[in-house]
Amino acid sequence: MRMRILVGIVLVVSCLFWVNVNLGSAEEKVIINGIDANFPPFAYVDKNGNPDGFDVKSVDWIAKEMGFKVKHQPMDWDGIIPSLNAKKIDMIASGLSVTDERKKQVAYTIPYWVIKQVLVVKNDSDLTPETALANGNKIGVQRGTSEAKWMEENLIKKEGKDFELVYYDSAPLSVEDVLNGRIVAAAMDDAPANDAVSKKPVKIIGGFGMHDEEFAYAVRQDDADLLNTLNEGLKKLMASPEWEELQKQYDLKQ
Amino acid sequence: MTEGFVAVINALPYMLKGSLVTIGVVFGAMGLGLSLGVPLAVGLVYGPGWLRKIIGFYVWFFRGVPLLVLLFLFYFGLFSWMGINFSAFSAGTIVLGLISAAYQSQIFRGAMLSLPEGQLKAARALGMSDVKAILFIILPQALRLSVPGWSNEYSIVLKDSAVTYALGVAEIMARTHFVASRTYQHLPLYIAAGMMYLLMTYIGVKGLRILEKNVRIPGYSY
Amino acid sequence: MARTDNNPVLKVENVRKSFGDKEILKGLSLSVKKGEVKVIIGPSGGGKSTLLQCINFLVVPDEGEVWLEGRKINYAKKRELYAYRQQVGMIFQDFNLFDHLTALENVQIGLVRVKKMDKVSAHERAAAELRRVGLAEHAGHYPAQLSGGQKQRVSIARALAMDPKVMLLDEPTSALDPELIGEVHAVIKDLVANGMTMLMATHQIGFASVLADEIIFMEDGCIVEQGPPTQILLNAQCTRTKEFCAKITHLSADS
Repeated sequence: MRMRILVGIVLVVSCLFWVNVNLGSAEEKVIINGIDANFPPFAYVDKNGNPDGFDVKSVDWIAKEMGFKVKHQPMDWDGIIPSLNAKKIDMIASGLSVTDERKKQVAYTIPYWVIKQVLVVKNDSDLTPETALANGNKIGVQRGTSEAKWMEENLIKKEGKDFELVYYDSAPLSVEDVLNGRIVAAAMDDAPANDAVSKKPVKIIGGFGMHDEEFAYAVRQDDADLLNTLNEGLKKLMASPEWEELQKQYDLKQ
Repeated sequence: MTEGFVAVINALPYMLKGSLVTIGVVFGAMGLGLSLGVPLAVGLVYGPGWLRKIIGFYVWFFRGVPLLVLLFLFYFGLFSWMGINFSAFSAGTIVLGLISAAYQSQIFRGAMLSLPEGQLKAARALGMSDVKAILFIILPQALRLSVPGWSNEYSIVLKDSAVTYALGVAEIMARTHFVASRTYQHLPLYIAAGMMYLLMTYIGVKGLRILEKNVRIPGYSY
Repeated sequence: MARTDNNPVLKVENVRKSFGDKEILKGLSLSVKKGEVKVIIGPSGGGKSTLLQCINFLVVPDEGEVWLEGRKINYAKKRELYAYRQQVGMIFQDFNLFDHLTALENVQIGLVRVKKMDKVSAHERAAAELRRVGLAEHAGHYPAQLSGGQKQRVSIARALAMDPKVMLLDEPTSALDPELIGEVHAVIKDLVANGMTMLMATHQIGFASVLADEIIFMEDGCIVEQGPPTQILLNAQCTRTKEFCAKITHLSADS
């Protein structure tokens, strides 16, 4: 008898779970923006767990201006482009830099930000970019990023520099390991680097020769409608005073 | 360290909500694993040769392929290809459930094989069909014997649920990582997350222990 | 009156069974008439248990036919097989009570799940059968809470509840401690007194001689000799039967 109750409970729970699946798909159509919520100040979650950041607020502004609904979906960086192409999300506005490689998979909006790649070290370190990327040093970098690919291909393979790349899930994790002393420096975009400097005893020692990159939003290649909408909205935003306000709010300097 | 403590306190409501997501994934997966694992086990023990081979392949596949690979394979591959638009939560739960079914089928199979042969014989001698005998005689006993095995499976599924973050499921680990990226208080936050998992393991295992006592057959020693 | 009926209730013809190279049953035939009690004796490993299990197809015979009340059983047809087994009560050496059910539920389950009887009538009938074997006060106990003798009585009640036309008893007391054998024997005697048709394998020669209409001596998968108890036990034609009976009578006298 008790066994029957148990089996009943399990079945009810399973049913609830399936109902939940169906309810989920019955919601009205909103544009889902995939973000890497480990990328402050462009994308992160605030104290209450709500998506926040320069990119998030920009897209919110554009959505309001252009008249569509948007929901920000925090997700793992590794899966963000596959998610877009599998239609799990509709766009990516999360500090995504424009690369030739990615152009084969996604369609980009106009660029909205220029980003420099920098090295972050401990405050008391006397390393320079030259000495950091030598002597078999370990350098941290976020897995799946353009800088990771560039360092691997150009600095290690082509120029034969003597350092080793260590891969992390996010830039902040690599900063933690700089502080732990497991790696001597972490390579990342200047904006999250500035964020790290404001919160931890680390400093930026300059670039490492990688060309400047541009951030843009990405959509599926066959999604021309959304691309046009976003381009138009982005142009409006960048022409409005709100653009300056957002940069100030998130402590970004071009 | 006080900074870390403050960060943990501030993040606690957010992370606790994540534990609800984790519980949802775990319960869904365990439920699916149970409802699939039982027929799989019955097929393994009493099914014809070809069925045993198919189930054997299923178990081999889901036990052999790493969780992350399966998650990506199903979420970005199979489900999309089939045109089913599951949410990350549903997809993660289903994949964990399919894996759990493979493991649970082995738990049930062991339990069924440990029952004396005479139970089935006596049921047949009463004129029961094999289906009835399995349903009314074998399974009620095998499921009771499986409860301790579930404890083990529960704690494994609980920990595996953290990997669903790769699909974007906002469970405990994902949320911990998000908060840490904003506050740079990685260590205290991960300690807090670890404690939440330990607590959930403790409660779940305790609950199953109580269940085990409740369904125990009086006088019967396992 | 019942005993004058000449058509056998159960007829077994030319049953053969091998496990691997070993031939356990070498073409056995026997029949039991209504109200008749036949007892199979013989050394362990002689095929008694296999024979009984072949009769209701718990072990599928390689060859041979089984007839119930003049109807040949086609065991390949599931429906026919299940209907047949309902009419043949089986008592096992090690009881095989369903461990997760109480004594009452053990008796009741066949009525509810196989005979589709409603719960109230099934409950009444099960309680009545438990009373009949003297276990009314143990109805709520689980098998693990019962003694061996009580378990075997429950299993007899379980079989009786199905209204069997014939009962097969496979050494019903050989797994019991000596002091518990008596209560089970009493129940079986009561059944015989009420005219139950029976085929029983046993080592309890004294018990068999009192009850049996006929004793069948079986060895190496063959029936060596059969006849009324007095003939088999006191005046056996075959030396093997004589030897076996002498040995087993001696043993029973000891205990």
